[in-house]
Amino acid sequence: MAHDKSPHQLVHQELALDSYLKTLLDEIPSDDAASALDNAEAQLEPARQQATEPLAPPPLEQAPKMPDIDVESSAIVNAPAVIKRQPLSLMPEWSRHEFQALFFKVDQLILAAPLTELLRTITITRQPTKIPGQPSWFIGLLDDQDKRVGVLDTGQLVYGKSRGGQRDLKQDPFKSILITQDGRWGLACDEVLSISKLEPEKVRWRTLRKKRPWLIGTVIEELTAVIDVQQLVPHRKPR
Amino acid sequence: MSEEDKQNDPVMQWVTFCLGDEKYGINVMQVQEVLRISEIAPVPGAPSYVLGIINLRGNVVTVIDTRNRFGLPCQEADDASRVVIIETEDHIIGILVDSVAEVVELRASDIETAPNVGNEESSKYIQGVTSRDDELLILVDLNKFLSDDEKAELDMF
Repeated sequence: MAHDKSPHQLVHQELALDSYLKTLLDEIPSDDAASALDNAEAQLEPARQQATEPLAPPPLEQAPKMPDIDVESSAIVNAPAVIKRQPLSLMPEWSRHEFQALFFKVDQLILAAPLTELLRTITITRQPTKIPGQPSWFIGLLDDQDKRVGVLDTGQLVYGKSRGGQRDLKQDPFKSILITQDGRWGLACDEVLSISKLEPEKVRWRTLRKKRPWLIGTVIEELTAVIDVQQLVPHRKPR
Repeated sequence: MSEEDKQNDPVMQWVTFCLGDEKYGINVMQVQEVLRISEIAPVPGAPSYVLGIINLRGNVVTVIDTRNRFGLPCQEADDASRVVIIETEDHIIGILVDSVAEVVELRASDIETAPNVGNEESSKYIQGVTSRDDELLILVDLNKFLSDDEKAELDMF
């Protein structure tokens, strides 16, 4: 906890936090931002705690349907800067208007994913079957309601192998899985937190996504990364 | 089931074995015999996936460390460990497994391809997966278990 640390450590943490926040609110053109994120990651626990508070915690099953919203009235559609940087058609449909997001935790990081990209969440009661010869971020296969789900190590996909790959999944297994809309992939996570509505103008969208295309934006108030699930899951088809 | 259906959906027998927490299946037609662990003579300079060689009734057979091959951590062999002697297209090799379980019958239609998210080479020997007794069985294509170069290397031992 912060109050246990020396003033020097506190200053260091604040600088790291400032750097991280600035990075999130800026466009992210290179790997520098990624390294800033990595460096500041350990300092962010207070901000994350704060970030979870405003979220309404309705259970996923009871989540209300996303309301029909006039796309033309959406601020993001009318924002000239966005249109200038990237054709709107390249942004997913859900990002154009108010959307419901599921907040979940991977290691100490809180992430948000649009509900429309997800089918359901399940609690892991049995470890996925590991398939030899697959990358370390592919945890294995799990049968779920007549579907065979490829379970992905979200931590490793997000943090990269150097950091995310250090987790010993035998000792410290993930607890839940977010099933993608097509039922083919599962994003392993430690905790499903809550569902909340997000308005496009409350998100800092990353309209240039050459690096880390799965990071589509950041919830400005809570500094939570918004995940583009379609970009996070593998695109290779089964053999 | 009609004769035509049987032809279109043949039943195959698979020998299942365990490695770590997972269960694998290999085509019974390619299994020659199953041996208890005997002395395996190491081969100097052999690749890490080669445990060594055994003398099988006068024939030298290379034994593969299947755990190593499948990227699983090493484990000391114990009473349950077995060397399964298998016949691939043109080689006879032994594969060390944690235990041999049973012979199961599977219909071709029960076998699904496993998603391949890595490079094509790394998991080409995974023929597919199927659900059985509430768990997944991973089916191994023994003909692709070793590459041509690796088979050629085995001939040098």
